[in-house]
Amino acid sequence: MLLEVRDLHVEFRTRDGVAKAVNGVSYGVDSGETLAVLGESGSGKSVTAQAIMGILDMPPGRITGGEVLFQGRDLLKLKEEQRRKVRGAEMAMIFQDALSSLNPVLTVGDQLGEMFVVHRGMSRRDARAKAVELMDRVRIPAAEERVRQYPHQFSGGMRQRIMIAMALALEPALIIADEPTTALDVTVQAQVMDLLAELRHEYAMGLILITHDLGVVADVADRIAVMYAGRIVETAPVHDLYKAPAHPYTRGLLDSIPRLDQKGQELYAIKGLPPNLMDIPQGCAFHPRCPMARDVCRTDVPPLSEVSEVRGSACHFWRECLNG
Amino acid sequence: MPDQPFPSDGAISGRGTAGAMHLAASEAETLERPFGGRAPVEPEPAAVSAERPRSLWSDAWRDLRRNPVFIVSGLIIIFLLFVSLWPSAIAPGSPLKCDLAKSQQGSAPGHPFGYDGQGCDVYTRTVYGARTSVVVGVCATLGVAVLGSVLGALAGFFGGLWDSFLSRVTDIFFAIPVVLGGLVLLSVVTSNSVWPVIGFIVLLGWPQISRIARGAVITAQQNDYVQAARALGASNSRVLLRHIAPNAVAPVIVVATIALGTYIALEATLSYLGVGLKPPSVSWGIDISAASPYIRNAPHALLWPSGALAVTVLAFIMLGDAVRDALDPKLR
Amino acid sequence: MAEAILEVSGLVKHYPLTRGILFRKETGSVRAVDGVDFTLHRGETLGIVGESGCGKSTVARMLVNLERPTAGAIRYKGEDITRLSGRALKAVRRNIQMVFQDPYTSLNPRMTVGDIIGEPYEIHPEAAPRGDRRKRVQELLDVVGLNPEHINRYPHQFSGGQRQRIGIARGLALRPEIIVADEPVSALDVSVQAQVINLMDRLQNEFGLSYVFIAHDLSIVRHISDRVGVMYLGRIVEIGSDAEIYDHPTHPYTQALLSAVPVPDPEARAHRERIILAGDVPSPTSVPSGCRFRTRCWKARERCAQEVPALAVPSNLGGPGGGPAAHDSACHFAEVKRVVLPEPMP
Repeated sequence: MLLEVRDLHVEFRTRDGVAKAVNGVSYGVDSGETLAVLGESGSGKSVTAQAIMGILDMPPGRITGGEVLFQGRDLLKLKEEQRRKVRGAEMAMIFQDALSSLNPVLTVGDQLGEMFVVHRGMSRRDARAKAVELMDRVRIPAAEERVRQYPHQFSGGMRQRIMIAMALALEPALIIADEPTTALDVTVQAQVMDLLAELRHEYAMGLILITHDLGVVADVADRIAVMYAGRIVETAPVHDLYKAPAHPYTRGLLDSIPRLDQKGQELYAIKGLPPNLMDIPQGCAFHPRCPMARDVCRTDVPPLSEVSEVRGSACHFWRECLNG
Repeated sequence: MPDQPFPSDGAISGRGTAGAMHLAASEAETLERPFGGRAPVEPEPAAVSAERPRSLWSDAWRDLRRNPVFIVSGLIIIFLLFVSLWPSAIAPGSPLKCDLAKSQQGSAPGHPFGYDGQGCDVYTRTVYGARTSVVVGVCATLGVAVLGSVLGALAGFFGGLWDSFLSRVTDIFFAIPVVLGGLVLLSVVTSNSVWPVIGFIVLLGWPQISRIARGAVITAQQNDYVQAARALGASNSRVLLRHIAPNAVAPVIVVATIALGTYIALEATLSYLGVGLKPPSVSWGIDISAASPYIRNAPHALLWPSGALAVTVLAFIMLGDAVRDALDPKLR
Repeated sequence: MAEAILEVSGLVKHYPLTRGILFRKETGSVRAVDGVDFTLHRGETLGIVGESGCGKSTVARMLVNLERPTAGAIRYKGEDITRLSGRALKAVRRNIQMVFQDPYTSLNPRMTVGDIIGEPYEIHPEAAPRGDRRKRVQELLDVVGLNPEHINRYPHQFSGGQRQRIGIARGLALRPEIIVADEPVSALDVSVQAQVINLMDRLQNEFGLSYVFIAHDLSIVRHISDRVGVMYLGRIVEIGSDAEIYDHPTHPYTQALLSAVPVPDPEARAHRERIILAGDVPSPTSVPSGCRFRTRCWKARERCAQEVPALAVPSNLGGPGGGPAAHDSACHFAEVKRVVLPEPMP
């Protein structure tokens, strides 16, 4: 296992109380594998990623338990200085908003080259050549000329390519992409997603794709972890999950999206709202919204039970759910 | 690269004001409901009914009450207001009763701060000087805030030629050096009262607020709720007063509070230079000016009015800072 | 087909680009909307899809008179509303209302929910007698599925989905005939999106509303729309019934757009043809000559650079009345290409 998160807990102290953002998340990703972490806002999917990368704002954030094993070492036990060496060189992150993630007053060449100057101690000239090579690699046309341009001179799709190039620069073993295409148009989204899938293959990296979009996940992921209220509620290979979800939340999500290929009647709507993280319901956090909820769901937190060798579901009644 | 700010997951923000987290109310709409019927009413969870409605101001007040900077500056300002309203309550003497025989003497019983060059009691004069500072600060700030925000709001709201014109005018005013402008304009004034000083500060101060107000109005105007009101057919005055003004007033208040402190300092500066208030008026600036030649012999005569001035200015600036922290939506 | 309630013809919106501070000089223009025609019938939903910058939101703003068109007409029941002002405009506004995209900025944070939904009655006092208003507001809250007792709460006490319901209630207050919804669910979570879409569906039946539904999400547009128009760079390139557009698209841009939509079905990965368009959308300040899609089109030829293709039923597809492929498409070389395959039922 390239990366393994074990029983991670993260909370945020705010003036209104303690928000429990991540409540015992465990997942792993292998080299060459794409794990999609699916969830709505407030599910804790991004916070988990921030904790893995070590870029969580602390305070107000606090990691209250768990381990993040990367190539066997627990990252949470490393000193900040050692952690910084891991970041960028061994694991890198791609953000949703490429424009605000790039420095507007430096050329993209300078920003790409800086990675090599800082981490590899290259000369400016060599770093520039490397930057051009990277821009070629992510298929930015006329890289030789564009390397001297500033971020605002690129379109949204091109900027996201630059972010990908930056993440790739030091050939990390793991890339975490947090909603990498959410801000992009559909046609550009397809270009960027294709590029990401290809590069992952080429470099045999592990990829964690964080998204809320069931369509994007179906297109590129190998495995899925569905998160709800800071917990993983279901994890499965992508084909199994879409064919027969083993958790009522996953089922509800799949049923509530309109289809491109047919005109449906009324959509299934998961009733209610995502939970308040300061006041997560007792028992199964999903029970107030669940059509299958029974008494046990209000009292006992369902563990992630083994549905098969490769999949798990945190539902007391996953068998019923699986059988429809 | 990896140290960049991170787009957060929505509901989790440092200070936890994001909408979704406040309300655990469940929004009820299920498939079972007959098509076209009324949606069932959402159940009222206990946690929510206990929470009273909160607005920006009550949120800000909650923040302020816990901020030690606000408490300290607030206490100083309350004391200052009290002193300027009833100076005789803590200083029984008259600031104009001076005895040259006691010139530059140190503290004596009943006269803790000693005497200045003219033999006046420094304690009494420092206490009475507060009134001038407060009157100048408050009146000038009110004038600047009213004039500046009205002109700025109209410029931001209507845009076009009026905006261009006003922007150029504010540029011109910004180019005038304040002290030099004061020396030139106030030296022709013969009246020895606070009003010419206040008038001068308003004249030079309004462009600052006008700029802030213009920006705040333009920002507020871009919100969809302003568009929604327009789409409903709301008149300009309704849009401006009901939708824009309440959402644009916060930055004006912050800047005005900080400016109040600087206006007090400006009055002292002008009085020190001899173009603001002149004796027999009582002002910290006059006293500092009068005491500075004797700084070696009687440092106390300089120290007390300067100290009072510094503490006052600092208190207002600190208050402004605390208010900004509480009101600035970017930090929320 | 029901009567036409809104007819849009030759709608154009150009924003001048200016230089200079006091003495402005025009140096060009942004052609945000550049000749849009469509008709909205009573009781139907017309979906308008397109990528960012295609001008769909500008069209929405012109429909509700937040923006005056540079040219063209919007006829509401035969009357051109773009020339109206004063009382006549206010009267028309009662009948065409808007639902906004962002539930966080579309409600005034300083007003209570009651004030927000009641504001339409203050602006149009003739719509409801004063004593009746509170009751009406509570009814509206009930209609959109919120607790009528929450009338004194502030917007920040509600979640995104609930706020969007408040926005819809405000739009309904004056009992309009037409609602223009600009990306009404794109800011919401997946599980809440379905709730709001179902609500809009139900309200349409209940109040006989006609919707102009603007969105970038093609699946949602198909779900809610009777007819769909596809916009590219300020123009409608193809328009037709939902089956015509989704199952028989004839414009290459529509085909590319449809093929790029990620489908929530991993099985489809293998046998779906993806049309990946080259490059980016050109800037609306320098629109290509002839067909504006030609710079990214794999079919482009000489003719496309010279002749602007008209939005009409292509003659090679059988002319009017020639089956589902025969619908308006602005392409010189229109032909059907099915890109959305029916998925095998599980």
